[in-house]
Amino acid sequence: METGELILYHVKPGDRVKSGQVLFEVMTDKIDMEVESPADGVIEQLVGEIGVAIEIGKPVLIMQTDTEVMSFDFGGDAPLPDAPAPVIEPVAVQPAAIETPVVASPVVIAPAPVALPPLTNPREIRAVPKARAIAEDRGIDLRTVAPTGPDHTITVEDVGGNKLSEDQIKRQAANKALIAKGLEMTRSIPQISFSRNVKSGSVELTSVISNWARVLRTRPDLNISPKDGSAVSHVGVAVIIESKYGSALPVFKDPDLQTVSELADLFMSTAKSAHNGKVPLAMLSGATTAIFDLSKYKMNSSAPVLFPNQVTSLTIGENFSGEKIISLTIDLRYLDFYDGAQLLDSLISAL
Amino acid sequence: MTANPLLMGHPLSSPEHAKHALLYMYRIRKFEEAVEDLFGRGMMHGTMHLSIGQEAGPTGACLALQITDQITSTHRGHGHCIAKGADLTRMMAELLGKKIGYCGGRGGSMHIADAETGNLGANGVVGGGIPIAAGAALAAKMRKSGTVAVSFFGDGAMNEGAFHEAANMAAIWNLPLILFCENNKYGMSSSTEKAFKLENLADRGKGYGIPGVTVDGNDVVAVYEAAEAAVARARNGEGPTLIESVTYRWKGHSRSDKNLYRTKEEIEEWKDKDPIPNFIHKVLDKGILTQEQIEEIQKVSTEQIMQAVKEAAAAESATPDGLLEAVFKAVSA
Amino acid sequence: MSDRMLTMAEAVREAMTIAMEEREEVFILGEDIGIYGGAFGVTGDLYHRFGPERVLDTPISELGIVGAAVGAALSGMRPIVEIQFSDFTAQAMDQIANQAAKIHFMLGGALHVPLVLRTPQGSGTGAAAQHSQNLEPWFASVPGLKVVVPSNPADAKGLLLAAIDDPNPVIFLEHKLLYKIPGRDPVPEGATRIPLGVSKVVRTGKDLTIVATGIMVNKSFEVAEKLSAEGISIELIDPRTISPLDTAPIFESVEKTGRLMVVQEGPSHAGYINEVIAQVSGSACFGNLIAPIKRLAGMNIPIPYAPQLEKVAVPQIADIEAAAREIVKNWR
Repeated sequence: METGELILYHVKPGDRVKSGQVLFEVMTDKIDMEVESPADGVIEQLVGEIGVAIEIGKPVLIMQTDTEVMSFDFGGDAPLPDAPAPVIEPVAVQPAAIETPVVASPVVIAPAPVALPPLTNPREIRAVPKARAIAEDRGIDLRTVAPTGPDHTITVEDVGGNKLSEDQIKRQAANKALIAKGLEMTRSIPQISFSRNVKSGSVELTSVISNWARVLRTRPDLNISPKDGSAVSHVGVAVIIESKYGSALPVFKDPDLQTVSELADLFMSTAKSAHNGKVPLAMLSGATTAIFDLSKYKMNSSAPVLFPNQVTSLTIGENFSGEKIISLTIDLRYLDFYDGAQLLDSLISAL
Repeated sequence: MTANPLLMGHPLSSPEHAKHALLYMYRIRKFEEAVEDLFGRGMMHGTMHLSIGQEAGPTGACLALQITDQITSTHRGHGHCIAKGADLTRMMAELLGKKIGYCGGRGGSMHIADAETGNLGANGVVGGGIPIAAGAALAAKMRKSGTVAVSFFGDGAMNEGAFHEAANMAAIWNLPLILFCENNKYGMSSSTEKAFKLENLADRGKGYGIPGVTVDGNDVVAVYEAAEAAVARARNGEGPTLIESVTYRWKGHSRSDKNLYRTKEEIEEWKDKDPIPNFIHKVLDKGILTQEQIEEIQKVSTEQIMQAVKEAAAAESATPDGLLEAVFKAVSA
Repeated sequence: MSDRMLTMAEAVREAMTIAMEEREEVFILGEDIGIYGGAFGVTGDLYHRFGPERVLDTPISELGIVGAAVGAALSGMRPIVEIQFSDFTAQAMDQIANQAAKIHFMLGGALHVPLVLRTPQGSGTGAAAQHSQNLEPWFASVPGLKVVVPSNPADAKGLLLAAIDDPNPVIFLEHKLLYKIPGRDPVPEGATRIPLGVSKVVRTGKDLTIVATGIMVNKSFEVAEKLSAEGISIELIDPRTISPLDTAPIFESVEKTGRLMVVQEGPSHAGYINEVIAQVSGSACFGNLIAPIKRLAGMNIPIPYAPQLEKVAVPQIADIEAAAREIVKNWR
């Protein structure tokens, strides 16, 4: 099979579509097939013609997908002149490549082989929990996988083991480039870092978030707008969280005004969704400072990085005796040395 | 809500002692009546085991005890708690499932304990408290504290292995223990005639090499005198005594009892042996208390119970907070 | 660092000695623990060192013994009860399950029961069905009891000292085949406590997590050493305290290895390992499982008498080895 005939579009340009929504139907020499959207996004352009055969690998429509998680914002309310645009990649959606997949674009959406019967109950397939998780993550249809485990059970190896998916690799790379570019901008800023060991084992991340916001609230001059450097009325704490696509930076706005348990709940749910690549839009902007918690790795970054248009940045480390180490980096154009040391001291006293 | 300081001594030895004995018997009676009423009106839940008719036993026995002496009690335990000095409001609050109840609503009627008055707890298991009392007596002996332990139990418990094992251990180790059997004639529906081949249950003492005495359990004076002798023996290091205090429970075993196993006539016959008038006659005869004083005591006891019900009903209900944490006592660092 | 190698019986005795020297409230009571030195020789010479009052020989009255211990514990003492065989705790169950376990909770928290009940358990002695059981689940299913199952002399000493300190009733189950065997690790001098409710990672590995207690730790360790030569890397976790159960290290390990095998000597039905499996199944690490969870337990039969029958009734080293090899080989 080399072509498929486009029968019908179910969408038009400007439509907002959800992942899994039917975009169009094609007829191959074997079967009629509905093609689903691989992601949430907006349809930009329909490029195929109804009733005309399309070659495998050629685009049928162009859509912009939402890749919210990585489109973090370094400044306040507007993008920086030099900041990279939010990562929104055009994705070409193509008919299925059954016999010989033709990769015309880095992202190939391959719907399930048409010869398979419709899946009535995915649990009819035997697979170990980890294999199911991997399959879901990578969009592998377990019906296409030959089980090699006992009792015809699909093993982790059968779905490709613990390797990263192409999507993950691509998104991680884009993410790294983005962070690097952002930090490039701040390299020339005069800055200094301080750290101090904290004996107490009760330095929870949420407590640092809330207390750091409390300290910064007393210094409106340190919460600035990226547009004009003027003070903004909120404290926005970007917390660097590990996700399966690299680092995510959800912003907690005014966390010091929340109760401890509210903040803890919000943090838990945000960390969880960020890990899976989703950060609520409202938490993508408005950072005035950043916190990076390295303590679970028993590590300490003595010089936390400054993100663009942020005057301060914190890391939490931990040594092998269980002591926490809190480090602060300051932009010396806004703060002098003693000011910075005092700021760190206030935070540690508050903790 | 402070616990009443215990008075010790013979109920006829002074007007104070007579007042105390009468007040405590009335308190027990009125407490049980209040409980029955609250259950009847659906304001209490669960079950209840009333000791109306048996007030002389705990009152007489506890007149022989110091506050530091320890007791274990039974499912029919309100009387023992009250006689040992428990706070009426906290008891009533417990039955009503309130936070200020002795067990914070976690134990209810069958599990009231009061560390302050040496009450190691009522018990839901027949005979459960007897070995525990033996252990308390063992500790008293080891620590040379000079205290004694009294285990209250019913006639039914005497056929439990726990009674046998504890009585034997207390005997061979000469423990300061009083085995106080309230023989109220029935273990639920089984009469002592059906459950024992003995006329006097106190004869069991012989089998353990300890004294056994049978007393009229509806005579607070006779109970006190037997208990006092047993306590003296125990404090002297002479070992345990078995006291059989013969009494009668007027009410059914529990709420569900229809009294099918005994006759109305039998119940009426025992009501004529009511321990309270029995004692009143004695104190009037001997001129220890006047009719007015007696009426005053009755009035005061009624007021105390009403006050306890009022306070308990108004108290905050127990909440599920901290239930999990309550399972273990926290390990101190 | 000490390099003393003690047997479990010696380590348990040392812990009791230290506790009795430290506080005069501590005393031992049980059957034949005095001049006889205990049915398994655990109390040994303690009768001569501490006298008949603190090493108190009792009549054969398990219910009475535990009840007396409960009463003494309520009255400021810290009794250590020895029940000659764990099977005989059945005689004392009212005092264990209805009294000791519940008093603190049920009576409103004003009273507590600092009581340790030590008892030997397990098969392998040809003593048949009423002298060979593993009864962890009886105790672990009663809220209010802490249940400790030591697997080696050093742990036994530290855990017993902590158990004696604990203000709650602790059931301390000693496998009788371990009494005479020195452990792999030396027993430290002094009175170091090992807190109850902390699982121990006995051996780290990446291919398979084995959770076991008591003698099954020893058997599993041997298997792990042997299989490491074949390139199979086993992580062995000894919860040490079954109740409360410290699951975090188990979850962490399963997260890492993706394979779990739980091993116990007692019968599989409603065994404590089923709780381990339930907890793992309900936790996030379940999603990381790359193999079905393997349960290796005793047969659901009373322990038989004849040696060849007794042997098949409980997991042996060869069974653990075969199961471990199979799970790692079959599930990749």
